[in-house]
Amino acid sequence: MSNNLIPLTAETEDLLEAVRSADILVGIPSFNNAGTVGHVVRAVGAGLAKYFHGHRAVLVNADGGSTDDTPTIVAHTMVDLEPLFISDRQSTLHRIITPYHGIPGKGSAFRTIFEIARRLKVKACAVVDSDVRSITPEWMELLLHPILKEGYDYVAPYYRRHKYDGTITNSIAYPLTRALYGQEVRQPIGGDFGFTGELAQHYLEKHVWESDVARFGIDIWMTTEAIASGAKVCQSFLGAKIHDPKDPAADLSSMLRQVVGALFALMETHAPTWLPVTDSRKVPLFGFQYEVGVEPVNVNVERMVDLFQLGLTDLPDIWARMLSEDALDQLSSLRNVPLRDFRIPDSLWAQIIYDAALAHHRNVLPQEHLLKALTPLYLGKTASFVLDSQGLTSAEAEQLIETLCRTFEKQKEYLVARWPQSHDSREVIGAARAKSERSEP
Amino acid sequence: MTTTWEHTLLGPVTALGERVFAILPNVLAMMILLLVGLGAAWGMGHLMERLLRVIGLDRLCDRIGIAAALLRGGIKADPSYIIGRIAYWLIVIFSTTASLGALDVAPINEAAHSLLSYIPHLVTAAVIGIIGYLVSNFVSQAVLIAAVNAGLPPARWIAAGTRWGIQLLAVAMAFEQLGIAQHIVVVGFGITWGGLVLAAALALGLGGKDLAKDFLERRLAGHSRSQINEDLRHL
Repeated sequence: MSNNLIPLTAETEDLLEAVRSADILVGIPSFNNAGTVGHVVRAVGAGLAKYFHGHRAVLVNADGGSTDDTPTIVAHTMVDLEPLFISDRQSTLHRIITPYHGIPGKGSAFRTIFEIARRLKVKACAVVDSDVRSITPEWMELLLHPILKEGYDYVAPYYRRHKYDGTITNSIAYPLTRALYGQEVRQPIGGDFGFTGELAQHYLEKHVWESDVARFGIDIWMTTEAIASGAKVCQSFLGAKIHDPKDPAADLSSMLRQVVGALFALMETHAPTWLPVTDSRKVPLFGFQYEVGVEPVNVNVERMVDLFQLGLTDLPDIWARMLSEDALDQLSSLRNVPLRDFRIPDSLWAQIIYDAALAHHRNVLPQEHLLKALTPLYLGKTASFVLDSQGLTSAEAEQLIETLCRTFEKQKEYLVARWPQSHDSREVIGAARAKSERSEP
Repeated sequence: MTTTWEHTLLGPVTALGERVFAILPNVLAMMILLLVGLGAAWGMGHLMERLLRVIGLDRLCDRIGIAAALLRGGIKADPSYIIGRIAYWLIVIFSTTASLGALDVAPINEAAHSLLSYIPHLVTAAVIGIIGYLVSNFVSQAVLIAAVNAGLPPARWIAAGTRWGIQLLAVAMAFEQLGIAQHIVVVGFGITWGGLVLAAALALGLGGKDLAKDFLERRLAGHSRSQINEDLRHL
């Protein structure tokens, strides 16, 4: 167990001294979210009062140095419980508003939140994004109830999203996590999670806070760590996910690098866990599911294909070092293909991701170059998905994602066969696979 | 008459013969030293290479990423081979210098001494050259990927310009270390680099003003004209 304390400000230390302990902690990382954070705080306050009255609850806002009064809004936002038919008006919601230390990013904010959870010895934690507009008080129940009452350790979100919303999730994070670890967590990088105080402490003890985990990699890292550490995982249906529309497409390359970099780094750490896994299983889903109206998403397919073609022209030497000859040949056949015929098949995409993971493992390129060189390929696959799903409903598009996931699972053998392993681990994996085959009907 | 003839004609020949006989042992010593040195260099080079292979230096370099760094810099040889070659050439240089010293001829001794005192500059210049080569490959690759991801069609040209700029800088620094035409190198480098920057500025300002505008829009406003109609959320 680590005894290293994460540095907190004197003011935060004083607040912790005053609060002493709590049952529930809700963390909100923020950076210049003045337009949305008030709504998030009201939803959290109402949710805790409605569903967890009698519990000692703390709201922690870890802010990255906002210049738009975000912390002030968090401190002063009040929620009127009367119109919400909430009888509990007595329970106090303690608020801790603190800056965080370390690399600027969501992960570093979470680290401070985990540290406060550890100091307060909380039983259950939830974290929610500060720019989410669709949060309701019910999210608190859905994220915390499975932890406090159902014996789960980790609650991942389950949203209704537009078919073109969350394309890194749909084309990489979900299929790869599902194929590797065998659990069908639909939104592994959703951003809104529930977890136990013990799991928060487990996260704190990991030495990952100088890596991509400190930034956008935090979400996939939390989910994967939970699965790999043997935590009991479930999902909660939260309805729609509508964010503040300021997610910058210009930062795509960095986002992709951080998420995929964290995924690949986790593959190194947890190889003994994922190598023997041969299939996937459903993860329990709580909450009443309903259809929601999602915001339309405009997509410029032509531009994405142009970037892919530019990559095909200028990056073949780099791709040749990270992809197999077969994958490269298939990609070359897409050169100057008319837009209507442009497709990256699922099997090729799975092979590209597995080849990239192997190249990352073998360190054949600087990691930053390898991960950023995936951007044109990812845009090509996204364009291909958009072209395939034009005119389809969200449910039908979901079927395409399901097919992609099955392809990842089917082709996992390709990755396992090429991943360097010791003789002992090969025997363990062989035995696990034989057992899995015997148990199949 | 005979005495004069002998004195005039045979005197210089005799003196030359005496000088040659006097220097012959030194020449022989030089040749022996040179041959022994070359043999020792060949033997030590191979021995060192084999020894490093046996103790697993290549595997160690693989594990800590040195082999990959060399590969990324375009050097395909194993670390053991590279160290073996370095040992070979160091012994060759020292044995050559020592063998020249065996001649015991003042100008050659001075030249050998100069050569020995020049070695640190030579090594520094070689290190600058190697680092410059590795850095230029690394940076140009990063620039190429970034330019492609930014959708800049002349990505290859930008990357090539970066590579040659860094290599030019490294060569100029290496020449300065070697003391070769110091002023010419510095002035030449300044003119070339200044010319490149001016050419790039003119090219971007005149030929690529839309590109520059697009770039500034993206930097300052967070989007480009081509992205205005796109609100794809990736996470």
